[in-house]
Amino acid sequence: MKARTGWLGIGLAVLGVTGSVATLWMVFFWVPTEARQGVIQRIFYLHVPSAWVAFMAFGIVAFASAVYLWLGDERADMAALAAAEGGMVFTAIVLTSGPLWGKIAWGTYWTWEPRLTLTLLLGFIYLGYMMVRNATDSPERGKRFAAVVGIVGAINIPLIHMSVYWFRSLHPDPVVLKPDGPTLDGDMLTTLMIGLLSFTLLFFGLMTLRYGVERARHTLELRESA
Amino acid sequence: MSDERAVPGWLSVVAAVAGKDLRIEFRTRSRSFTMAGFVVLVGVLFNFSIDQALVRPQDIASGLTWITLILSGLIGVGRTFAIEKEDGAMSGLLLTPAPRDAIYIGKVVANFILVFGIVLLTLGVFGLFFRLDYGNHPGTLLLVLGAGALGFVALATLFGALTASTTLGESLLPILLFPLLVPMVVYGASASGRLLAGRPVAEVAGQGRMLAAFAVLALGAGAALFGQIVEE
Repeated sequence: MKARTGWLGIGLAVLGVTGSVATLWMVFFWVPTEARQGVIQRIFYLHVPSAWVAFMAFGIVAFASAVYLWLGDERADMAALAAAEGGMVFTAIVLTSGPLWGKIAWGTYWTWEPRLTLTLLLGFIYLGYMMVRNATDSPERGKRFAAVVGIVGAINIPLIHMSVYWFRSLHPDPVVLKPDGPTLDGDMLTTLMIGLLSFTLLFFGLMTLRYGVERARHTLELRESA
Repeated sequence: MSDERAVPGWLSVVAAVAGKDLRIEFRTRSRSFTMAGFVVLVGVLFNFSIDQALVRPQDIASGLTWITLILSGLIGVGRTFAIEKEDGAMSGLLLTPAPRDAIYIGKVVANFILVFGIVLLTLGVFGLFFRLDYGNHPGTLLLVLGAGALGFVALATLFGALTASTTLGESLLPILLFPLLVPMVVYGASASGRLLAGRPVAEVAGQGRMLAAFAVLALGAGAALFGQIVEE
């Protein structure tokens, strides 16, 4: 791993972990309890930032994939792979925290709630992306195939989003990004924002480290074949 | 001695590829027979899977039709590139100066004709088995199923080419394809369900537009990315 990439990754990851611990402290000891849902609503501060990171990561996968197909630069493919693996982790957090919250708030682990459904499908698109990468005889082909899966997935996500919304909506309406400003209580908003920032930093830290590992392996392979 | 024949135009490549695929199918009838058999047998299984004391088959026929379209389509479209692999036919096709997107569209056209034929058969078989009434808007119903079949074929042809070159083969196709088919099933099953229930055409205009958008997006993405998949 190049020293620069390594230190950047470690720095971002340390910031992200510190922020995540701070978020946890705020969730358990500082933020006021929501009036209607009670204590269970506190899972919101982990659930929403994870969802944000999961979808942002897929944006990076799609963008890096397009760059890879366009320029053929190996580094773009490594970035896509690193983002995909990080994204899968946060997708798994959303798909665990969502049903746990749903069991208390809605009385059921699973409902066909649009955003939950979309995240499940996103998880499967990630799965397809990873499976295709490892299912070809030549690694170069696997990278190109994965890039195609990433791009087609990203093009389809808005349509899937619209269709599952159209199918049914039970989920609480957005409370932050609304035309007339956030309706979330001040302390709750602060906790959410710190959670968003920390998870984003943590993701980029993990992604940078993973990217560094992939580059190191690439260099090693070049040396071994030389 | 040089060959001075001009490179054929884009549309003639599409027609040539589609014509070739359809001719192979017409002569061997391998895919259409398996798909047709599948449709009839799945209709029989559906019939015995429904307790008619609890549910009327007419009420779920729309969903069953779309599921049948997808599963029989997988059988048919999944084979497209397996045929090309034999005798290195695909390599030969790629050695020609034919534009990759034209080859893709040609394949989509042939697959669409095949899948749409199967859709017609499905409507016939299910109509008979489940006593469906197509009296109200048969044309609109065909349009809805046609738009859905086009979107399906566009994605399935792209990913069929992809999975044919993987070690996992066709078993990977549903994993890649099904998550992306959700919009088609949501809008398609809703539209055909309403039409089968005799609701007015105006009620399904929105769903029809979304199905068309889905097909256009899938075709565009497929035409743009097909070259990346077939490149050795």
